[in-house]
Amino acid sequence: MTKAKKYWKGLAELNNDPLVDKLKQNEFVEEIPVDEFLGDKELPASSTSRRDFLKFLGFSTAAATLAACETPINKAIPYVIKPEEITPGVANYYATTMYDGHDYASVLVKTREGRPIKIDANKSATNARIQASVLSLYDSSRLKNPMKGGVDTDWSTADAEIIAKLNEIKENGGKIAILSSTILSPSTKQLIADFSAAYGNVSHIQMDAVSYSGMLDANEASFGVRVLPTYSFDKAEVIVSFGADFLGNWLSTDHAKQYVTARNPKNGKMAKHYQVESTLSLTGSNADDRVQIKPSEQAGLLSNLYSALNGGTADSRIAKMANDLANNAGKSIVVCNSNDAQVQTLVNAINNKLGNYENTMSLSNPSYLKQGNDAEVAALLEEMNAGKIAALITYNVNPSYTLQNAAAYNAGLAKVGLTISTSLYNDESAAKMMYACPDNHNLESWGDANPSNGVYTLMQPTISPLFKGRQFQESMMAWMGKSDYHTYLQNTYSSIDWNKSVHDGYFTQNQAASTVSSFAVAVPSFDLGKADGIEFEMTEKISMGDGSQSNNPWLQELPDPLSRACWDNYLTMSASTARDLGITNWNVSNGALNGNMVNITVNGTTYNNVPVMIQPGQAVGTVAMAVGYGRTAAGKCGDGIGFNAFTLGNGTATLEVVGGEYEFAATQLHHTMMGRDIVKETTLADFINDPYAGNHQVTYATHDGFKPASEVTLWDEFDHSTGHFWNMSIDLTSCIGCSACVISCHAENNVPVVGKEEVRKSRDMHWLRIDRYFSSDMTKELSAEEKISAITMYAEMEEPSGNPETVFQPVMCQHCNHAPCETVCPVAATSHGSEGQNHMAYNRCVGTRYCANNCPYKVRRFNWFQYSDNDKFDFNMNDDHGKMVLNPDVVVRSRGVIEKCSMCIQKIQEIKLDAKKAGTRVADADAQTACSSACPTNAIVFGDVNDDTHQVQAMKKDTRSYALLEHLNTDPSVFYQTKIRNKA
Amino acid sequence: MQKEAEIRDPLILGNKSFHDITKDISKPVEGKANKYWWILFSLSMVLFIWGVLCMAYTIGTGIGAWGLNKTVNWAWDITNFVWWIGIGHAGTLISAVLLLFRQKWRMSINRSAEAMTIFGVAQAALFPLIHMGRPWLAYYVFPIPNQFGSLWVNFNSPLLWDVFAISTYFSVSVVFWYIGLIPDFAMLRDRMSAKTAPMKKQLYSFLSFGWSGKAKHWQRFEEVSLVLAGLATPLVFSVHSIVSMDFATSVIPGWHTTIFPPYFVLGALFSGFAMVETLLIIMRKVVNMEAYITIKHIEYMNIIILLTGSLVGTAYITELFMSWYSGVEFEQYAFLNRATGPYWWAYAIMMTCNVLTPQLYWFSSIRKSFVATFILSIFVNIGMWFERFVIIVTSLHRDFLPSSWTMFSPSFIDIGIYLGTIGFFFVLFLLYARTFPVIAQAELKSIVKSSGSEYKNKK
Repeated sequence: MTKAKKYWKGLAELNNDPLVDKLKQNEFVEEIPVDEFLGDKELPASSTSRRDFLKFLGFSTAAATLAACETPINKAIPYVIKPEEITPGVANYYATTMYDGHDYASVLVKTREGRPIKIDANKSATNARIQASVLSLYDSSRLKNPMKGGVDTDWSTADAEIIAKLNEIKENGGKIAILSSTILSPSTKQLIADFSAAYGNVSHIQMDAVSYSGMLDANEASFGVRVLPTYSFDKAEVIVSFGADFLGNWLSTDHAKQYVTARNPKNGKMAKHYQVESTLSLTGSNADDRVQIKPSEQAGLLSNLYSALNGGTADSRIAKMANDLANNAGKSIVVCNSNDAQVQTLVNAINNKLGNYENTMSLSNPSYLKQGNDAEVAALLEEMNAGKIAALITYNVNPSYTLQNAAAYNAGLAKVGLTISTSLYNDESAAKMMYACPDNHNLESWGDANPSNGVYTLMQPTISPLFKGRQFQESMMAWMGKSDYHTYLQNTYSSIDWNKSVHDGYFTQNQAASTVSSFAVAVPSFDLGKADGIEFEMTEKISMGDGSQSNNPWLQELPDPLSRACWDNYLTMSASTARDLGITNWNVSNGALNGNMVNITVNGTTYNNVPVMIQPGQAVGTVAMAVGYGRTAAGKCGDGIGFNAFTLGNGTATLEVVGGEYEFAATQLHHTMMGRDIVKETTLADFINDPYAGNHQVTYATHDGFKPASEVTLWDEFDHSTGHFWNMSIDLTSCIGCSACVISCHAENNVPVVGKEEVRKSRDMHWLRIDRYFSSDMTKELSAEEKISAITMYAEMEEPSGNPETVFQPVMCQHCNHAPCETVCPVAATSHGSEGQNHMAYNRCVGTRYCANNCPYKVRRFNWFQYSDNDKFDFNMNDDHGKMVLNPDVVVRSRGVIEKCSMCIQKIQEIKLDAKKAGTRVADADAQTACSSACPTNAIVFGDVNDDTHQVQAMKKDTRSYALLEHLNTDPSVFYQTKIRNKA
Repeated sequence: MQKEAEIRDPLILGNKSFHDITKDISKPVEGKANKYWWILFSLSMVLFIWGVLCMAYTIGTGIGAWGLNKTVNWAWDITNFVWWIGIGHAGTLISAVLLLFRQKWRMSINRSAEAMTIFGVAQAALFPLIHMGRPWLAYYVFPIPNQFGSLWVNFNSPLLWDVFAISTYFSVSVVFWYIGLIPDFAMLRDRMSAKTAPMKKQLYSFLSFGWSGKAKHWQRFEEVSLVLAGLATPLVFSVHSIVSMDFATSVIPGWHTTIFPPYFVLGALFSGFAMVETLLIIMRKVVNMEAYITIKHIEYMNIIILLTGSLVGTAYITELFMSWYSGVEFEQYAFLNRATGPYWWAYAIMMTCNVLTPQLYWFSSIRKSFVATFILSIFVNIGMWFERFVIIVTSLHRDFLPSSWTMFSPSFIDIGIYLGTIGFFFVLFLLYARTFPVIAQAELKSIVKSSGSEYKNKK
């Protein structure tokens, strides 16, 4: 055993000195002078202990940390008293009427928690502007108060002053003029009559920004009724339009539906459509046969057509048309856009000769959509300038902007004693008037409309007024010392079931129509002459109409279906005219479109530095420009864009090429299909012979013979035979390119607006776009025949023809069942649903954009910036009012993520849940996407392809059905139907 | 001990003794930097700072700061990424593949080539990160357990393969490089005086991991080097193959090509060697290494460039042929558009710099000229950048549906970030040249010894 060693520190320890033990008890040999080094003698007396100190330290550190980490808090305020009909999260629908003086539709409005967020068709079809009008409701540029001389005032002051002045005028026998748009509301007309009775010398003048006065005058002369006929394009077999854009802007939104009904290739026949026009219109782009003329040739050709129908010789350009018309008497329609009563009388004569009245068009069942009278407006202007008008009240019009001789109007306005505007905006006209008594938006108002004989639609408020406006009718009643227009309206229709009619949004009732006399006037005759020089024509854009909604960013960013440009108006010109003038359009280094500019003078008005867009389909020697731009008092989005074409008017143009270049914003920069099978098309004759015409399946050579792409696949198929399998069919024969679906998609899915600069950078965010392709003179067949090299062939294919055939193809996410995007996402942010949709998990997306690169359809959109709450994108998502239109069911995407069409998954989910609660199957009619519900022609059909009763299943099996880029075998859930043209 | 063939030219000039080598290699570390170094360093630092500002702006406002659009969703970002990754390839090839093939001439250049690899891959790795819309969520691309439920990465995505390929490549390269550095750090440690430079001495002591030059240490060193060389060799081929699959597995005409993996690897070696030449020709001047990096080395590399350049040219022509032979109009148009479309100039630059100019190396006078090599190496660097630009942008800008066709133009942020990575690369490389033994001197001494020139001259 080893002996344990003992260590000691000193002899004292070794000797067990007691001092050592004592020292061991004390940790410190000497007492530490704590008090001294703390210095503060009062510290021990303080009530703060060390523990308290640590508590405070800990608390304040934690508090500071938490305060620094605070995330933005969005407060949801519950209803204190919940309105009976509102359940948060559940939409309410109200039938109402949309009419802003230019566009009319009977609509169904979806509201969420008291906010209208979406407009859909009810009794009549909608167009892009009607779809977008829900955003105009939330326009923060609207007048928020009544104003006097540009200064805010209150209603009682304004009313008292106005009534006093009106009474003074009444006493002096002064003349009061009410200048309004066409008034469709019988009760408002009654009210104006009451007002006339109250104030004596009152005249009511109606004007339309885009006038149909010539046509109304012609009908009055020819048939003794100053009304427009209603058309039944569905009953026609030959449709001839001289410039009338009846599928786009001309009169009723219901024409499109009738048109495609008459042109269903399934029936084995299609109405033949001829269009004779100078500027390529939406209607012209759908025509089977399109003749390009100068505006000055129109009257002569109509005259020639009339004489041809009476046995004369037809001009070679219209010989076939004349023949077809003659063979289809009583089953044809001839329409014309002219505002010249003489020309319209000629059109009446032709239709009368063909016996179309009361067959395909009816004056005994007239349309009241346009009632403006140019002669009365001209007379009013004269009276105003002569100082004969004591008071002027305007309603739904903006004459300082829409009148060609706005200068005369403005001058006259200064001579009127009392001027009252009821415009929603402090617009060009209102700013020049004494009182601005802002009307309410349609969606905030009660009202009625009588668009055609016997048909009445009702307007009901879908939200309490956002601002301190007051409905025009209420204002009129107030000035008569009355109130309560709602009761007045109800009393107008005492014989109807009021609640049911308001619920339905419309009712029918016998209405006396004026007697139509037979056609018995001299038929005017015109020479087939042709004016020299360049002719200018005003046109109307699908997006902007008359410009009343020009502060609507959705509409500003809606690409024109034909030029594909947005945020602009410009002079359209044919390539050959441009070449003569030395004008070109070209693409700059990032692809964006630039163009030369001209100074243009028409009817004495000159605009400098007007950009020229080379537009295939524009007749040689003509130029055109859309109205609705050049606003100066529209609001932050609409001001300072383009030129006011109303001021120019139609006529001969003098052009002077000037230096500099203009920057366009176009969403499509390439105009032809480059010989690819993207839009498959065939002729009616070929289709009747072979139902698969133009749609023969792509096959691949294999060791086993030729096989379609779907049979040469590496994919393991997911079994879609049970459950829902959502599919969409898009009929390219029915699609007219109207773009209502694009706006509908914007509204439903909170698609951001990005502005002109970003569109120029090819960064538009549209989830649904309508591709437009023009035909080219160069084809693969031609190149093979003439042994043209591939390089030359492709170079020439890029150039569209001068008078091209046009196709439209709506393209959204194709929801490929073999999706190229899904395999490449590193984080699985996009993946496939069991019901056939391609999903996008925004939260998971890190934004590599690989999916967008690998998408053969290029439908994926990236959030390049934060588009909401960003002052650089000062559109509706950066505006407290504008944000109210956002659909609460769809998330607003943040920057850095990809977004795309979801096939309106929120709508599908809703109907599935509703069906589940009700314990029923999902009904066919309920399954709608925003685009399919907005489509006026039913070209987009959405539904469950596993449902044997659903139309979409039949469409999928149709001989015309094909998948876009089917050779890739992406197996999309969206498929197209071959376009059929009725041509030789 | 190796036998020296009489007919072989010496790989190192100037009759260096072991001590001369030690002195020469330590000099840049021990001495003060010369004027050239400071000029280059300041310039690089300015570019680097500019690049950092541009990246910060991008992350602050969004990818919209770049010139990308709905059709061309990748352009300079991924071009730069592939370019930098490609540059990294020569380093691993020189250090690993040439080691396995016992090419002694690699010893003068492998250290710097590997440094270039690591710095190049670091630049490359920046791009996948900053090109993301939401880079703060970049960790989503790693298969890490998370609280989001059963969320997992998508193993089908080539981008995910990239994540693994690049991180493996980077880590193996760093380890391989570091192992080689250990005896050299020990050499520096031993030369440092504890009195005059205590910090440096401590630093290099730490870095040399207690290397004492024992026979056992040398044996382990050799073994580890061989094993790592064996591991790194397949990576030379795998990394760029996987990068090429970002394109090859897609459906876009011009990307969807089975030739891509070998084509990309060859292109990477091609550009890597060019970059090695650019750097070494500068470095031998800046840190006085003329005796070690000789025209012999340059000539060998030029031969590799000539070979890989010709192979890359063959690949270009094969692509053209296949697009025609496929009979697919989309493929045909994609390649026709490359050569004759709006980006014909990019294609022309690529063809000239990558296919035509390297052919000049058939001439011995050009092959053996520092000036000509330096100029041609810059040509190759430019050409290879354009190759990636051509592949990415000209394929995307006109794909299937003409309605979406557009073009791409870089913003100044795009350019700033690219220049910034060049600056960052040179900052790293210049700092490396002043603090690391830029030549693997321990290995190099083995070839000096075998030549025994000192004794021969004494006779």
